[in-house]
Amino acid sequence: MHTAAFVRAEGPLLPYGAVRAAAWLAANAQDLGSRAARLGGVALAAPFGLSDPILALRLAWGALRGTSEDRLEILGEEYWETQLRGKLVRVGQDLLERARADGHRVVLVSDHPDCVARHLAEAIRADVLVCNQLELRAGRATGRIADPLASRFGGPALQAFASAHGLSLAGSLAYGTAGTDIALLAGVGRPCAVAPTAELRRAARDLDWPVVAP
Amino acid sequence: MTDRATVPGPAPAGESTAAAPGSVRHALAGRRLVITGFTGFLAKVFVALLLESVPEIGQIYLIVRRRARKEPAVRRFERAVETSPVFRPLRARHGADLATWLGARITVLDGDVERPACELATETLARLTGRIDLIVHCAGLTDFMPDPTEAVSVNVAGAAHVADLATRLGAPLMHISTAYVAGDQGSVTVPESLVVGRSPNGTAFQAAGELCALTLACRAAGADAADRKEAALARARQLGWPNLYTYTKGLAEHLIGDRPGVTIVRPSIVECARTFPFPGWNEGLNTAGPLAWLITTPYRRLPAAPDHRFDVIPVDDVARGMVLITREILEGRGGGVFHLASSDVNPLTFGRCIELTGLAFRRWTRKGGGTPWEQHLIRHLDPVPGPEDADRGIGRWSELLQRARDAADWIEAREDRLGGALADRARGWSRQTSAWLSDVDRVEKMLDLYQPFIHDNDYRFVTDRVRALGRTDPDLRWEVDDICWRTYWVDIEYPGLQRWCIPLIRGERAPTDPPGPTPFRLPHLLESP
Repeated sequence: MHTAAFVRAEGPLLPYGAVRAAAWLAANAQDLGSRAARLGGVALAAPFGLSDPILALRLAWGALRGTSEDRLEILGEEYWETQLRGKLVRVGQDLLERARADGHRVVLVSDHPDCVARHLAEAIRADVLVCNQLELRAGRATGRIADPLASRFGGPALQAFASAHGLSLAGSLAYGTAGTDIALLAGVGRPCAVAPTAELRRAARDLDWPVVAP
Repeated sequence: MTDRATVPGPAPAGESTAAAPGSVRHALAGRRLVITGFTGFLAKVFVALLLESVPEIGQIYLIVRRRARKEPAVRRFERAVETSPVFRPLRARHGADLATWLGARITVLDGDVERPACELATETLARLTGRIDLIVHCAGLTDFMPDPTEAVSVNVAGAAHVADLATRLGAPLMHISTAYVAGDQGSVTVPESLVVGRSPNGTAFQAAGELCALTLACRAAGADAADRKEAALARARQLGWPNLYTYTKGLAEHLIGDRPGVTIVRPSIVECARTFPFPGWNEGLNTAGPLAWLITTPYRRLPAAPDHRFDVIPVDDVARGMVLITREILEGRGGGVFHLASSDVNPLTFGRCIELTGLAFRRWTRKGGGTPWEQHLIRHLDPVPGPEDADRGIGRWSELLQRARDAADWIEAREDRLGGALADRARGWSRQTSAWLSDVDRVEKMLDLYQPFIHDNDYRFVTDRVRALGRTDPDLRWEVDDICWRTYWVDIEYPGLQRWCIPLIRGERAPTDPPGPTPFRLPHLLESP
């Protein structure tokens, strides 16, 4: 049985959430009219950012309905290179290096869709990537994020994943930052909150999880 | 979307391995071919691929036209081998032995397809008669609107001369035409066939008679090339061809298409190489180059139908198809028409192509390419397909620039009253606005030329015949259905156009490879007429 270090991208590794990526892609739609309309759609997601992050994520990426797969792929790479690559969070990288040195496989869990998350996975040399998938039809985004959402990765999904990859969850690590990561952290033997939000900080205190601040 | 990974082409056959029976190498071993048009983009790739994949080839006779007196045919060949990037794989493989290796396989014949018997010497003709297995006629003018006199001489008379030569030598002929001889037909599926004497719009005509009428019309139009072009274009349009290139290539097909032993090969829009000689290789001004250049100008709205097919085919895929067809002809299965195209199995639409070009431009400028103007402004304004209308959004630009130039000229004319410094500055503005106006004019002319291809017609070229050959050879395959257009366009085509084609549009020279320390010379003598 192997063990893994599950790391949530948003927070421990990236300073920005996936809604920002949707906004950036909306601002770079093909024509000016689409840019305005899509940015408006992403703006609708903002009020839900704290109260219901999953709804915010769905609304934001829903604004990209009709965007071509070509644009998502090529601008996904540009977003990674110009907006994310130089801003990786140091503490998260150090934790991952330590976990890798201890023999854990690295599993990156990201709210970002594949066109962005793939580049991060390559950069941190993740062994497995679990990320959101945008639903595509005839080469264009339908505006839906396919289920299951990576944001809800934990519980039965985590157990099924571990069993498919021959992982022992009891000996595995997990790093998260937000309240949506509680299910992931609760599923492993050695959870760790990294620069946690208030909700996760409370849970960490209650469950006696270690907390790492940058 | 049905994108798949771009599959690299077959590895060049090494000379150490034996040719498998039934393979192209086996079929072409020891064969003698005559090839015209070597100095063009496609023929060079075909010859290089042939030498690379069939090292056992018997002999390739290249009919090359001498360039005035200072550059004989053989020197043109040697210079190409020395400096053309298409020969990089052969230069790398054979190093200092290349001249000897090529000398055993290549003979350069000083000739001219515009002359009867290609101007070959009588003794050369006598020596070649009955000893040639195939003539591949690649020579042609590919400008959309050339001087019709020249286009007729090269594309029509040239084809007839080469067909006559084939008859005289007793060899079959592979005539390279273009899929766009289909002309103006709207949205159609174009079969692999030719109905001799029936033009694209269904008019019955006789090619020889049309050729005479065209010659007379050009003569009547006088000495001005523009008038001749207008006169020829009027005839072309009457028969359903949108420009002089497709018209003259079409006439050539109708002139020689029903002769015995003639196989017509029609590539679609030949673009940058996918794998051979290396990804991105291109030469000269091709079709997508000007469109890619257009994307670098402030002009953002291309009058194109987004759902129409843009039938692009990488040059090395065309060359592979030609090698496969060569085997078919040599084994007695030639004749008729072969399309080498992508629109029936893996279509690329204009909408997608325009978006990919904009994205490729964006990536290219992000990585340091282009001017500050392109890097900071143009890259953020994606090109979009738009409806065709009389103005195309150009009129306003043109009017604005003309007013700016008039104002600059007005200031300049009042130098004595307004002062020398202001007049100097006005002279600069006037020059700049004139340059921009000339760009606007170029864009307009380009859109006129391209409109039939990017807006008016939507062709699906049937490629059943070449696809039937595609999977039969262990070394060479027709795998156009495997092309991932995103990878091809962004990683290969656009960088290739930027390196090899767009400099020519800007009036610069395309890069060449530096010649080696010792001049490359073929070991045998030039045969002169």
